[in-house]
Amino acid sequence: MLEVTGLTTKYGAISALRDASLTVGAGEVVGLIGPNGAGKTTLLGSIAGLLPIDSGTIRFDGNDITSGAPEKILRAGLSLVPEHRRIFADMTVEENLKIGGVTRSGAERAELLDEMAELFPVLRDKWDTPAGYMSGGEAQQLAIARALMSKPKLIMMDEPSLGLAPILVDLVFELIDTLRAQGRTILVVEQNATRMLRAADRAYVLRSGEVVATGTGAELLDRSDLFDTFVGG
Amino acid sequence: MTELLQNLIDGLGRGSIYALLALGVAVVFGIMHLLNFAHGELITIPGYLTYWAFNQGWNWWTVVPLIIVSAVLSSLLIERVAFSRVRGASDFTLLLTSFGVHFIVAAGFLLYVSASVKPYPRPGWFADTIAVGSLNIEIFDLAVIVVTIIVLAGTTWLLQRTMFGLALRAAASDFDTARLMGVKSDSVIRGAFALSGFLAGIAGVFWIMREGQVTPTAGINPMLQGVLAALIGGLGSLRGAVLGGLVLGLAEVLLRSWLPVGIQNLTTGFVFVMIALLFIFRPGGLLSVPQVERV
Amino acid sequence: MFPNLKRDVGFPVIGSFVLFLALFGGGLIYQTILSNGSAERLVTTMLIDAIIVIGIQIYIGNTGILSFGHIGFGAIAGYVFAVYAISPEEKLKRIPTAPFGLTDTQVSPGLAILIAVVVTLVFAVIVGIGLARSGAQSGSVAATVITLALLFVTHEVAKSWPELTGGNRGGISFAIGESLEGRALILVVLFASMLIARLYGQSRSGRLAIAAREDSLAARAMGVNPLVQQMAALLLSVVIVSVGSSLRVWQIGSILPDRFFFDYAMLTLVMLIVGGRNSVTGAVLGVAVMTGARELARRLGQDGFEVFGLGLDEAPLDWVFRENLNSVVLGLAMVGFMIWRPTGILEDWEFDQWLYRRFGRGTQTEPGRLAELDDVPAATFEASGVSVAFGGFKALTNAGMTAESGEVVGIIGPNGAGKTTFVNVITGMVEPTDGAFSIDGVDLTGSASHELSRSGLVRTFQNLRLFGALTVRENVEIAALVAKEHRTERTLRDVDSLLAEAGLWEHRDRRARELDYGNSRRLELARAAAMAPSFMLLDEPTSGMSDSESLTMIEQVRHMAATVGAGVIVIDHDLGFITGISDRIYVLDQGQVIAEGTPDEVQANARVQAAYLGSAADR
Repeated sequence: MLEVTGLTTKYGAISALRDASLTVGAGEVVGLIGPNGAGKTTLLGSIAGLLPIDSGTIRFDGNDITSGAPEKILRAGLSLVPEHRRIFADMTVEENLKIGGVTRSGAERAELLDEMAELFPVLRDKWDTPAGYMSGGEAQQLAIARALMSKPKLIMMDEPSLGLAPILVDLVFELIDTLRAQGRTILVVEQNATRMLRAADRAYVLRSGEVVATGTGAELLDRSDLFDTFVGG
Repeated sequence: MTELLQNLIDGLGRGSIYALLALGVAVVFGIMHLLNFAHGELITIPGYLTYWAFNQGWNWWTVVPLIIVSAVLSSLLIERVAFSRVRGASDFTLLLTSFGVHFIVAAGFLLYVSASVKPYPRPGWFADTIAVGSLNIEIFDLAVIVVTIIVLAGTTWLLQRTMFGLALRAAASDFDTARLMGVKSDSVIRGAFALSGFLAGIAGVFWIMREGQVTPTAGINPMLQGVLAALIGGLGSLRGAVLGGLVLGLAEVLLRSWLPVGIQNLTTGFVFVMIALLFIFRPGGLLSVPQVERV
Repeated sequence: MFPNLKRDVGFPVIGSFVLFLALFGGGLIYQTILSNGSAERLVTTMLIDAIIVIGIQIYIGNTGILSFGHIGFGAIAGYVFAVYAISPEEKLKRIPTAPFGLTDTQVSPGLAILIAVVVTLVFAVIVGIGLARSGAQSGSVAATVITLALLFVTHEVAKSWPELTGGNRGGISFAIGESLEGRALILVVLFASMLIARLYGQSRSGRLAIAAREDSLAARAMGVNPLVQQMAALLLSVVIVSVGSSLRVWQIGSILPDRFFFDYAMLTLVMLIVGGRNSVTGAVLGVAVMTGARELARRLGQDGFEVFGLGLDEAPLDWVFRENLNSVVLGLAMVGFMIWRPTGILEDWEFDQWLYRRFGRGTQTEPGRLAELDDVPAATFEASGVSVAFGGFKALTNAGMTAESGEVVGIIGPNGAGKTTFVNVITGMVEPTDGAFSIDGVDLTGSASHELSRSGLVRTFQNLRLFGALTVRENVEIAALVAKEHRTERTLRDVDSLLAEAGLWEHRDRRARELDYGNSRRLELARAAAMAPSFMLLDEPTSGMSDSESLTMIEQVRHMAATVGAGVIVIDHDLGFITGISDRIYVLDQGQVIAEGTPDEVQANARVQAAYLGSAADR
C-alpha cells in the first residue's frame, strides 16, 4: 500500500534520513522505533509532505506522492496524527473533528462525527469545550479521531503515547488494537519500544536516520542486540 | 451628559469603520503573519473607481456595490501578484513587500491619474441628522453603526459556523496541521484575502462617502488606523481588532472634545501618545495573544 | 571595545575612505560630464541621502528591526534645526507667534545642528524604551508599527502646529544667513558617518547587537542583553540621521511636513534594502544605484523614450515614460528585491573586511592544543525541590540535583519525563512553581537568560542555535567578548585556540550555517567554552549524531570542559552516551528523580530499566 524507497532528507547540512526504505501492506500495523533523533518524526513528516525530500520516492496505492503538498497527500488517503498532537486549542472538540473531515461532504461528515462520538466516549462528553482545556490523554484521542475523520486508507501516528501517564499509554495501545480490529492500516512511531513491538505486526528500527533492522514484532523482541539500540550504546 | 452621549455615538461611528479595517488586517495577519501596509489601497482603488463612476453618471446605489466588489478583487489581485510570492518569508520581508505594494499603487495613480484631488458628490443625506430627545444623531453615524453590527454578526457566523470559517481559524492557529487535515493552503489564504477585502470594502463605502474626494495617498490614513487598531487590540486576535477599532474611534472623538481649544488639532498626536502608553504598560495590546518562545 | 585593532579600526578607516572617495568621485564625474546646475544638485542630494541612509543602516542593519521612524526622527531634527537657525526677521514673517520665545532666538547653524541632535536624542530615548517594552527583536512586527506611528505623529504634529512649524502650506523657508553652498560640511559629515557606522559594526556593542539580530535566544544565552545593544544602536543611528536631516533642510532651504514623510521614508528604505541592509558598503551602493535609477526614470518620464540624446522620436512607450515614473520605480524596486533578493545586492559583504582578509591578515598558523587546567576553580551548582505545573499537569515534582566543577553529571529519562522542563527552569525560560537553584550559594532562580550565563551557567541548545550569518570565528568571538566583561575571575581562553581545539580551525571563515551537523555541535561547544563558564549545560548534544560521532563527542566534551575548568551538566536520551560521559547520573521519570548514582549503579537499577523500556524487567 505504502512504499518508501531510498528516502534521504536533510535539514540544512544535517542528514536526518539516509536512504530509508519501508513498506506497509493493507491492514497491517507497522511500528517504527528507535531513539530520539533517529529520524522517525522526519520520516513521517516527509511522507506526509510537511518536509522537503532530497532524494527517494514515496508511492501510495500505486501513485507517486513524493514531495506532494500535505493537502494532496491527505486526499490520496494518508492521514498523519502529528507529534505533540497539535490540536486546535481555541476550537471546540466538534470543530476540531469537523476540520479533520474538511475533505468530506456535509452528510458524510455528520455520519463520521457520530462514528467518532461512539468510538471515543470521552470526546462526546466534551463536545463543545475548547480543545485546549482537555487533558493529555483526551487530546491524544481527539487527535486520532480528527485524523480518522478524513476516512484515511492509512493512518500514521507520531509518538501517540508521548507525555501520557502509564494508564493512558495503555489506552492508546488499546485504541491501536481496536483500529486494527476494524481492519485499518496503521504506521506508528513510538519510543516505547517493547509495547510497540508487542502491538505491531511488523516493525522497523531506525537509528541515526537509517533503517538498521526490520522484522515481525516478535522477531525483533527476541533480538537482544537491539536492546542497546533502544536504550542507547 | 448630552454632550458625552453625543460624543459616544460619534466615536462609535468612527470606531466602527476602524474596527472593520482592523478586522481585515487581523484576518490576514492571522493566516500568514503579514501586517498588511497595503490595506489602505483597498480604499484608494475603489475611491478612484467612485470618482470615475460618478463621471460616468452612476449614482450611489450602483457605486456602493462597485466599491465592495472592487475592494475584494483588489485584495485578491494584490495577493496573487505580490504576497503569494513571499509566503513564508521573514516578517521583515513581508512588511517591506506590503509597504512596496502601497507605494506602487499610490505612485501608479500619481502617474496615470494625477496628483491633484479628485472630488465626487457625497450622498444627499450625508449631513442629515435625526433628533432623539436632546441628541442630534447623524444618519451617517447611525448607518455606519448598524451596518457594522450586521457585518460583524455575519463575519462571526462565517467564522463559527461554516467550513470555510473553521478552516480559516484552524489555519490561523496552526497552518501546517490544518494542511495535514486537508485544508488547501491556496484556497484558505485567498479566502482570507477576500474576506479582508470585503471588510475593507464595507469600511471603504463609508470612508469614501465621508471623504468626498480621493488622492493617490488616500490609503495611508485608513491603513494606519486599521493597523494601529489591530495592534491596540492585540495582534492575532480578531476580537481584539474590533475592540481596538472602537477604542481608537472613541479615544479620538473624546479627546477632541476634552482638549482645550488651542491644541485640538493636535488630537492625533495625543492619541498616539496614549497608544504608546498603552504599549508601555501592556506590550501585547488589550487582548494580547500569548507568545510562546520556542527553543 | 574593539577585539582586533587592525581588523576593526585600521581597515575600516581605509575602507571607509575608499568608499567615500568612490561615492563622491562618481558624483563628481557625473556632474562634470553634464556640467549643469541640476546635476550638481542631484549629487549634493545624493551625498546627504547617503548620510541619512547610513544612519538608518546602523539601526536596521545591526538589530534587524525594520524602522520607518528614523525619518520621523529626521523630521524632529529638521524642524528643531530650522526653528533655531533661521533669522528672526524671517521667523517674524512665517512663525511670528512661535512658543518658548523661539521667534527671537537665533543661533549659528552649527549650534542649531547640535541642539537638533540633543532634542531628537531625548525623543529617541523615549521611543527606545517603548520599543524595548514591546519586546523588540529582529523582524518584530509590533516594533515596526511603533516606528511607523512615530513617523505619523511627527508628520501630524508638524502639520497641525503651524505656530511652530509654519504648517502644511507655508512651511518655513529660509534665509539662514549663509546658505549651504560649499559641500565641505556635507563631505566631512558623510565620511564621519561611514566611519562611525563601520566602527560601530566592528565594535563590541555592534557585534553583540548583530548576534542578537541573528538569534536573540542564543545571544541571551551567551550573556548578551539585546535591549541594551538595541538602544545603543538606536541612539547612535539617531545622531547621524539628525545631523543628516539638518543638512538636508539646510540644503533645500525650507522644510515642509511632507519632506520627512512616507515618500522619503520609502526612498531611504529602498536605498538601504537594494544595496544590502546588513552592510554599510551595501547602503552606500544602494544610494548610488537608486539615485541613478531614479534620475534615469525621471529623465525618461520628462523626455519620453530618450536619454542623453539617444532614443526614438515617436515614443511608442509614451504611456510608460511619464512624469512621476521614478516613484513607481521605487515601489517596484522594493517589491522586486523582496521577492527575488530580500538581502540586497551585497547581503552583508563589507569592503574593508574583504580588504583585510585579502591584504591585512597575513598567513595564520593553527595554534597548538590547549592544556587542561591543573587548578580548577571550585564551584557548586545546586537545584532543589524544583516543581513545575502547567495548569493541572505536573511536569516536575520536587526535582533536585547537585554538580561540582570538574565533574560531568548526566540527566537522563524517557521522552516526557520532564528533562526539557528541568532544562527550561535552570536556563530561565520557565519560572518554577516551587524550588530554587544556585551556583556557589548565589540564588539564580528567576534570573534572565543573560544574567544566568554571566553568572557562569552557559547552555547549548538541542536544536542548534548558532549565529548563522556570522563566521565560525565570529560566533566564538562574541562569547569571548562577553566573557571578557563578565567572567574576569576565570581563565579566559583565546578564540583561535578554542577553534583549533574544536577542530574548526580550517572552517573558521565559513558562515556558521554552512557547517555540517557534527561541526555545528562542536562550534556550539566551543562557543559555550569561550564564555569561561562554571558549568556548561548541554541539551541533547548528540541528537541526530551517528554512534561513532557520539563516541568522539564524549572525549571532546570532557576535554573542552577541562580546558576552561567547567563542570558539565548534560541532558540526553541516549543511555550509552550518558553512561560513557558522566561521572554521576540522575534519572528522571514522570517528572521525578527516580535514581541517582554512578553509571554502573544506575544501569543496574530495576526502576530505571522499567522506566526506560516500558517493562524491560519482564522482557
